[in-house]
Amino acid sequence: MQPDTSDAHAIVTCRGVSKIYAHGAVEVRAVDGLDLDVAAGDFAALSGPSGSGKTTLLNMIGGLDRPTSGTVTVDGEDLSGLSAAHLAELRLHKIGFVFQAYNLIPVLSALENIEFVLQLLGIDAKERHDRAAAALADVGLTGMEERRPSHLSGGQQQRVAVARALVARPAIVLADEPTANLDSKSADDLVSLMAELNARSGTTFLIGTHDARVIARARRHIEMIDGKITSDTTGDLADVVQ
Amino acid sequence: METFKLIVPLAWRSLWRNPRRTAITLVVVAVGLYSILVFAALLDAWAQSSRDAQLNLLTGSGQIHAKGYLDDPVVDRRMPPPGAKLRAALDVPQVREWVERVRVPAVVQSEYKTLPLTLLGVKPQAERAISFLPSQIAEGSYLIGNADPGIVLGRHLAQRLKTRVGKRVILMAQNADGSLAQRAFQVKGLFASNQTAEDSYAFTGIETAQKMLGIGNGISEISFRLASGAALAPEIARLRAAAAGLDVKPWKLLAPLAAAVDSFMTAFVYIWLWVMFVFMAIGIVNTQLMAVFERVREFGLLQALGMRPSLILAQVLLESALLIGVGVVFGMIASGATIFALRGGVDLGFLARGAEFIGAGHVLYPHLALSEFFEMSFLVWVLGVVIALWPARKAAHSRPVEAMSHAT
Repeated sequence: MQPDTSDAHAIVTCRGVSKIYAHGAVEVRAVDGLDLDVAAGDFAALSGPSGSGKTTLLNMIGGLDRPTSGTVTVDGEDLSGLSAAHLAELRLHKIGFVFQAYNLIPVLSALENIEFVLQLLGIDAKERHDRAAAALADVGLTGMEERRPSHLSGGQQQRVAVARALVARPAIVLADEPTANLDSKSADDLVSLMAELNARSGTTFLIGTHDARVIARARRHIEMIDGKITSDTTGDLADVVQ
Repeated sequence: METFKLIVPLAWRSLWRNPRRTAITLVVVAVGLYSILVFAALLDAWAQSSRDAQLNLLTGSGQIHAKGYLDDPVVDRRMPPPGAKLRAALDVPQVREWVERVRVPAVVQSEYKTLPLTLLGVKPQAERAISFLPSQIAEGSYLIGNADPGIVLGRHLAQRLKTRVGKRVILMAQNADGSLAQRAFQVKGLFASNQTAEDSYAFTGIETAQKMLGIGNGISEISFRLASGAALAPEIARLRAAAAGLDVKPWKLLAPLAAAVDSFMTAFVYIWLWVMFVFMAIGIVNTQLMAVFERVREFGLLQALGMRPSLILAQVLLESALLIGVGVVFGMIASGATIFALRGGVDLGFLARGAEFIGAGHVLYPHLALSEFFEMSFLVWVLGVVIALWPARKAAHSRPVEAMSHAT
C-alpha cells in the first residue's frame, strides 16, 4: 500500500530560493532561484552531482540555514522571519533529520537517543519509553535499547537515526545521503525501511542522495545541477515496497 | 523539572567523555580552592596570633584614660578610680574583665646600669584575667596582693641590668608634686615575653605604686576585655557615654600595628583568592572551550533535533557547574582535613625572633570560621560557573548547519 499524494497539500514550498556563498570576491550560487513543492506523503529522491546544492537546499528546508533570497514554507509556516529558538521549535515538531554521519548523541543509548526528542517535546516518561521502544522495534532493533552508538554498526546507527527522526511524528523527514556510509546490504535494508515507513505511516520523505538504489525506489525523482532543478519526475511506487 | 531531567544526565555523561580533561579541571579547581582555604586559615591564625600577642599583653579589648594621657603618659594625667556610673557600665556581662592600673614612665637602676621603662602598679589577681604576663614567670614568683612591695621585671631587662631575683633595684619616677620619687624594690620575679615587653615593663602592687608616686587612690588606666570581639564598636560607644571626660579607646587605636596586621591579612586573603581564581578561570575556560570546540557538530545536531539555544546554554553551563562543583567539594575536603590536622598548631620556633618582629606568636593555630569556609567555596563555585558562561554561549550560538557539514 502506498499513500496517494495526488490531492495532498504541499508540506514544503520553496519559491525563488537562492543561496549565495561569498568566497572573497567570488560569489558561489549554491542554490539558484529554485521553486519546489513537496506534497504530504511524498517519497522523493533529490539527486545531483556533488556541489549541485542538494545539501544546501535540505538545510534551508530544515531551517538549519537561511536562503539569501526567496521563501521556504514548511507545513504552512514561512521560515524566513523565525528566530533561532522558533526554528528549533519548528524542527522539533515538524521535521525529522537523518544524516549521512548518523549523528547520534554518543553519551546516550539507542533508546535514550530516541527518547531525547520526546523529552524535548515534554512527553512523560512512561509514554516516552513506550514510544521510543516501539520506534526501535519498527526499525528492527529490539534488544539493542541499551547499546551506546559506539557499540552499534553503521547500519544499526542509521536505523536508530531513522527511528529518532520518525518518533516525534514529523510532517517531513529530511535525509541527507543516508546510505553513503553503509555497505550495500545495509543500504538496501535502510531504503526498504524508509519506503515501508512512508507507505505505512504516510510520513513524507525528501532524501538527498547519489545512490541509484534510493533513486530507483523513490516515487519522485528531483534532479539538481548547479543549484537548479533540471528534472522532476514522478514514477510508480510499485517496486518501492517489497 | 522535565528540562532539568533532560539536561542533567546529558551534562554528567558528557563530562566523562574525556576523563583526562575532566580530571585536569577537577585538579585545577580543587588545588586552587585548597590553597585559598588553607592560606586563609594560616593568615587568619597569623592575624589572631598577632592580635592576641598584643591584646593579651596589657592592652585588652580597650582602655580608659584621662584626657591627654596617651599623648603624654605622665603622673599628672591620672584619673580617680571609676565612679558608680562607670563601674556600673563596666560590671555588665558584655565586659568579661576589667582592671585598674597605675602606669608611669620611670627609670630603673641596678648596681651596674640605669635604664628607662614603664612602671605598672597592678592588682595581681585581676591582672591575671586580662594579661598573660602573670602566667609567664620564668624565675621567682609573681606579685601577690595590691600592696605587694616587690617588683617583677622582664627577663631580658634583668640580664641588661645584671640583676636577678632577690636583688634590689632602685626605681625613680616623677612624683605627683613634680619632684623625683625613688624607691628600692626587691626583685621578686622575672617574666618571659617578647623582647620589647621584657625590656619595657616592670610590675609592682598598685597600692605600692600609688604610695610611691603620692597619688592617693589615683590611677592611670582601666583596661577591659569584652566577652565578644564582634561587639567592640557598640561597647566602646556605651562606655564613652558612661565615662564623660575620659578617653575610651578600642584596641585598634591603641595597638595600630596589630590592627594593621589584622586588616592586611583579611585583605590579603581576598587578594590571594582573586589571584588563584584568575589561574583557575584560565584553566576552566581553556578546558571548557576545548570541550565546546570538539563538540560543535553535536551542538549543531542538538539544535537540528529541536533543542533551543537557551537549553544548550543551560546544558553546557550545567556541565561546568557540576565539574567545578565536584572540584570545589574535593578542595573543601582536602583543605578541611589539612586545617583539622594542623589544629594543634604550627610551630614557628624556627623563625625565632623573626616571628615576633612581624607580630606573630611562636605557634599559629590555623582555623577558619565555618561561614567563611563555605562562603569562599561557594564564591569560587559561582565565579567558576560565571566564567564558564563564555564557552557555554559559544556552544549555544553554534550554527546547526555544522551538523550536516560532512555530507555531500
